[in-house]
Amino acid sequence: MKRIFLLSVFCIFIVQTGLPQIVNKEPLSARQTYYKIDARLDPETKIVSGSMEAYWVNKSTDIVPDIQLHLYMNAFKNNKSTFNQDAGMNLTDKKIEFGWIDLKSLKDRKGNDLLGRMSYISPDDNNADDQTVIRILTESPTKPGDTVFIKVDFETKLPKGSFRTGYADDYYFVGQWFPKFGVYEPAGMRYATAGGWNCHQFHRNSEFYSNHSVYDVNITVPEDYVTGSGGMLLNEVKASDGKSKTLTYRAEDIVDFAWTAWPGYAVFNDEWNHVKITLLIPHIRKDQVDRQFHAVKSALEYLTKNVGPFPWPHLTFIDPPTKGSFAGGMEYTTLFTSTSSDRMFDFLHLPEMVTVHEFGHAYFMGILASNEFEEPWLDEGVNSFWEARIMDQYWGENSGLINHPLFKIADKSYSRTSYVGSPDRQVTTNKEYSWNYPHGTYAMMSYTKAATVLYTLMGIIGEETTNEVFREYYKKWAFKHPSGRDFINVVNEVVTRVHGNKFGPDMNWFFDQTLYGTGLVDYKVRGFNNTKLRDFKGIVSEADSNRFVTNVIKDDTIFKSTAQLYRPGDVILPVDVMVHFSNGDTIQEIWDGKERFKDFVYTGVSEIDWVKIDPEYKLRMDINFTNNSKTNDADMVPIRRYMDKFIIFMQYFLNLMSL
Amino acid sequence: MKILTHLRSGALRSFKAWKGVLVVWVLILFLISLLALPVKSGFKSMIGSSMVSELLTDTVNIDVITDLGTGMGVIMPVMTIGLLLVLFFGFLMNVFVTGGLFSILGSNNDSKPSSRFFAGATSNFWSFLIIILTTLAMLMVTASVIGGIPIMIVRGGDAGTAEPGVVGKTVKIVLIILALMLPLFLLVADYARAWQVVHEEKKPFKAIGFGFSRTFRTLSVSYPLMLILVAFQTGFGALAASKLLSAKPDTGKAVFMFFLASQILFIIKILLRAWRYGSVTSAMEEVSDVIEVSPDQSVRDAELLQGQV
Repeated sequence: MKRIFLLSVFCIFIVQTGLPQIVNKEPLSARQTYYKIDARLDPETKIVSGSMEAYWVNKSTDIVPDIQLHLYMNAFKNNKSTFNQDAGMNLTDKKIEFGWIDLKSLKDRKGNDLLGRMSYISPDDNNADDQTVIRILTESPTKPGDTVFIKVDFETKLPKGSFRTGYADDYYFVGQWFPKFGVYEPAGMRYATAGGWNCHQFHRNSEFYSNHSVYDVNITVPEDYVTGSGGMLLNEVKASDGKSKTLTYRAEDIVDFAWTAWPGYAVFNDEWNHVKITLLIPHIRKDQVDRQFHAVKSALEYLTKNVGPFPWPHLTFIDPPTKGSFAGGMEYTTLFTSTSSDRMFDFLHLPEMVTVHEFGHAYFMGILASNEFEEPWLDEGVNSFWEARIMDQYWGENSGLINHPLFKIADKSYSRTSYVGSPDRQVTTNKEYSWNYPHGTYAMMSYTKAATVLYTLMGIIGEETTNEVFREYYKKWAFKHPSGRDFINVVNEVVTRVHGNKFGPDMNWFFDQTLYGTGLVDYKVRGFNNTKLRDFKGIVSEADSNRFVTNVIKDDTIFKSTAQLYRPGDVILPVDVMVHFSNGDTIQEIWDGKERFKDFVYTGVSEIDWVKIDPEYKLRMDINFTNNSKTNDADMVPIRRYMDKFIIFMQYFLNLMSL
Repeated sequence: MKILTHLRSGALRSFKAWKGVLVVWVLILFLISLLALPVKSGFKSMIGSSMVSELLTDTVNIDVITDLGTGMGVIMPVMTIGLLLVLFFGFLMNVFVTGGLFSILGSNNDSKPSSRFFAGATSNFWSFLIIILTTLAMLMVTASVIGGIPIMIVRGGDAGTAEPGVVGKTVKIVLIILALMLPLFLLVADYARAWQVVHEEKKPFKAIGFGFSRTFRTLSVSYPLMLILVAFQTGFGALAASKLLSAKPDTGKAVFMFFLASQILFIIKILLRAWRYGSVTSAMEEVSDVIEVSPDQSVRDAELLQGQV
């Protein structure tokens, strides 16, 4: 009896804490879900056969009548799926090889069949042809604290080289491949006003939202395949026939589990502090290994210093081969994929940029785990901001992306250019769900506009305060699924703590105008003028008489100089102004930007030489830096130099052409 | 020994043709300026009295390019079309002036160089155009066959398990082979043009035929001769271009000096080209059945070789 009691206590402990710790000393998250999967890859049929035991714990105070799960792979099941409709897929366009997930059996803990209680739902668009979300009515409603167990046998047919998942010849990247719980959000969590499942369909322009989970996964693949996953490899057993092997992985507190298998990978290992890093890369790209490790270690260092620690002791990243490029540029917390090509110029930092970006998701998608369906900017935009900072920090302020003697591009400039140069920059705000962004603006709005907004915020509140915001955000919200509102509340709290009321009682005015508004930032120096103050000459009336007066003010000439500033944009932001005089003096002003125009007037012996608004180009949302300054003596040397070089280039080229 | 003789003769002939070299330089500069000057004015006008050009000091800045917005929208099509036109007419002009250069590099000089330059440029234009186009076409076909096939085989066999750098090494080997073959094509083109200049009847394909036969009949002399000349030309061109393109003059005066230096270097580049033409012409004139040598030819050649002219 005592043994049964102890066993029961142990089982309860396991359910509540997510099994004994293997990867980390302590659980990092609440662990509402758990997955144990046995998977076997059949290279002939391209089918992954799986047997899964999983549970969800109702940690809310609600009584929940159902569970909802994602069947992401069904996005590739037909041309009418929401995913394929988003992509405008037409079966007559090209030969398509479909992918799907087929639930062979679905049972509860008692062995009751749940397939009959299962239905496909389409909460986003009522698309009857979409089968990416299922709802299962449990035998009895789940009470607070109760756990729902399910046992599923499934077959996942991988699509051919599709979106982030699938196969190409003998290359496999297996993502979004198993039935996965949605997130139950009780009232008060993020924007929920009543408890309910947050389980969106699979959309083309969307990524994911999941609880942090523990994964115990056994993967059986042909013996010669090299595999990698987001888990820590615990065991590897070869089959007695020598034809296959089974790898046992364990992952803790991550939001998704993906894996890859390919005979062509070369495996490299490195370390950064407590993190053991594994890189899987095609043999032909071995010469890029150092570049890849430098990138990921730089990101680890920078984010650890400025945001928070990377809590896992393991990290795997993959550079897929050319034929597996469909898998490139995706994140699964402790596993991510980079992008490169077999020949990559040193001056082009594309592999580094993708590696830094995808690793950064470990923080904003992985640790903080915001809802990418509903607030894509909170992951992609925030992460793009950090990506740009890291790239420009480690690869040069003006050369984060490209560093060629003739041409350089900073990562932050790429973000700004993408937003500022978009004709659709005012079409909508960042309040949209990811698939609702109109006119193909998802990427621009979620990634580059949001990154530019954050750069502008940093320009106003300062770099160190920005870092403090993110440190606080991490501390407060790690593993808790924050919303955009939660992030802004942290900004308000930290900015007030650091700067007092310098920017007002909060920073909502900033986000309302920029992130949640469609207005543009544009400041302009209208001009400046210098007027000589004339000596007074004329008739002065005194009591009962008039007299002629010549009033010599001074021997020196006195100027009344006026700097005329104008705000063509609708967004009101405080801005620095620099006024330079002919005697070398420089005056720094601050304009609150509230009025449409502002004149700064000076009286003195010197004339204004030039005027600059935002002299350090900190307000990166400003759509036109060209009108930010005015001078009497514009420096055209760079233009002349570039045109001279153009002439030289043409001369040599024509000379070459004529043999 | 023969090679040195031709090199010296070619050098002397090119120095003698300095006026022609200057004409080539002026014409090409004029043509490119037709595009460059309006574009420069356009950029200056777009930037106006702004100080944003400070962002262009280090390198081209995409923030600035983006912000020029509407102006760039106007200037880019103009630049693109202008560039294509300059390339097209520049190519034709080069064909034209090459005819002039070859005409004044020969030793059969009865009239004034300037009139011979333009007369030769005009009369040889179509023949030279066909010779150059044919040579370029042969060059491209050869490059495609020699370069394309091995690279395709190497890449086609790449299942991701090949050792790194295999494609790169193949490309390097192909480039070396092509570099070694380039002098042959240049010899064919130069012999053909040198032959055409001294024949009133304009038969470009016969000239190309002569180019081939002369190249391979005298390969032991012609090939090393051309290899030396190409090495000089390429070495100088690459050095000058890399130095010029990486230079960053940062004051108005420095930019002016930079422009002057660049043009002097380009004139030297044209001189080197004339040296090549002159050397090949000298090599061609060695064969008496190809060119009717004037009575005082041998005397003049001797004078040329002794540097007395």
